Amino acid sequence: MTLILHHVPDYASTIIRLVLEEMALPYDLALKDIAGGDLASPAYRAINPAGLIPALETPDGPLFETAAILLWLTDRHATLSPQPHDPDRGAFLSWLLFTSNALHTAALSMAYPHRPAGEAARDAALAAAYGQVLARLGLIEAMVAQQRPRWLSADQPGVLGYYIGMLMRWLAMTPAPYHTDPKTFPALCAVLAAHEVRTAALRVADADGLGPTPFTNPRL
Amino acid sequence: MYTLHYAPDNASLIVRLVLDGAGIPYRTALVDRATRQQDSAPYKALNPVGLIPTLITPVGPISETGAILLWLTDTHGLGPKTDSPDRPAFLKWLFFLSNTAHADLRQLFYPHQYCPAEAHPGHAEIIANRMQRTFTLLEDAARDHPGLFAPARPLAAYTLALARWSVLYPKGGARWFDFADYPRLHDLARAQEARVETPVIARAEGLGPHPFTAPVHPRPPEGSAL
Repeated sequence: MTLILHHVPDYASTIIRLVLEEMALPYDLALKDIAGGDLASPAYRAINPAGLIPALETPDGPLFETAAILLWLTDRHATLSPQPHDPDRGAFLSWLLFTSNALHTAALSMAYPHRPAGEAARDAALAAAYGQVLARLGLIEAMVAQQRPRWLSADQPGVLGYYIGMLMRWLAMTPAPYHTDPKTFPALCAVLAAHEVRTAALRVADADGLGPTPFTNPRL
Repeated sequence: MYTLHYAPDNASLIVRLVLDGAGIPYRTALVDRATRQQDSAPYKALNPVGLIPTLITPVGPISETGAILLWLTDTHGLGPKTDSPDRPAFLKWLFFLSNTAHADLRQLFYPHQYCPAEAHPGHAEIIANRMQRTFTLLEDAARDHPGLFAPARPLAAYTLALARWSVLYPKGGARWFDFADYPRLHDLARAQEARVETPVIARAEGLGPHPFTAPVHPRPPEGSAL
């Protein structure tokens, strides 16, 4: 069975698409119409009961959660991250989980600032999330600058480079005063710059309409 | 031997349930939250995010509860291997626990990090409603994957700790979690309490005689939960 990616261009499913292309794996796209209610349909809830994008149908059943899909793909194909029993595995997992439950969640709060506390607290929630985003990117920047990990590197592609690349894209496209400038995180920005020019990234940028330099200087 | 940097009734409890449940030896190192030791330079050298737990291993420190659980699973065979047909289900529920269930519960415990004081009641209601849906999804997942949600295994330990904290925290907050709504998880809580290591852990962290089915605020012999 071919993999089926439930996809909306420039949503988190694009992170998965980048990695599928980087691995040169065959997959089919199932494009979802969010405004048309596709994510609330019983058929989609059977695949992802949380009703979010992305989901990946695999020969071993449906997967959801961006980071879970990335980890499954990278382990199953033994590429783009340190594998179990590699001495770097623990550090890689620590930062994958941090990206998922701290950076990604804060980026989502910025994109949907009414979610934490309702419309009335929208501005305050946005400001709070922005502070978290900058602090969390700062932790990743310090780690990359000091440790130069090979699993988040300009020298070779990795799942975390594509994951953080797309998060950086959305943060960089947020208008002032809550704008993030990727260049203020130079070590990380260099890693993302190396990822966005790879053949796989160029292919997805073209297919999903991401424009040039989608991670480090996104323009629509 | 591993060293678990812990504080009583913190997320380190989840790791402890898994380590003791599998008979994996480790020593503990208390992080004294009363003096905000988690913000100290020595602790941040191990875990730059400054959260509890951190597990010190022969290949270095590992932070993030979910990362520690994944690493222990793969190192000690506590769950499906990477090529197992159960691996997708294991991964999706582990990440769901980490970045949806646990992350939302943290919002409920620390609302000042997310919105101003006047918005706290509305915020608490929104998150509590979302958490009830989250526990319903976990109830269904535990029913569909009883092997993955076996007592003392990562998904069960994580789910039960979140259920415990939902009953207790924030102190003085509205109570919205009731095991009567989640019979499968209630059975799991009873099964976890029947395990031989549970009272030992409960004594070490001052969690009382029924840490999951009848949680009480901790009275730890050392350290501070908050």
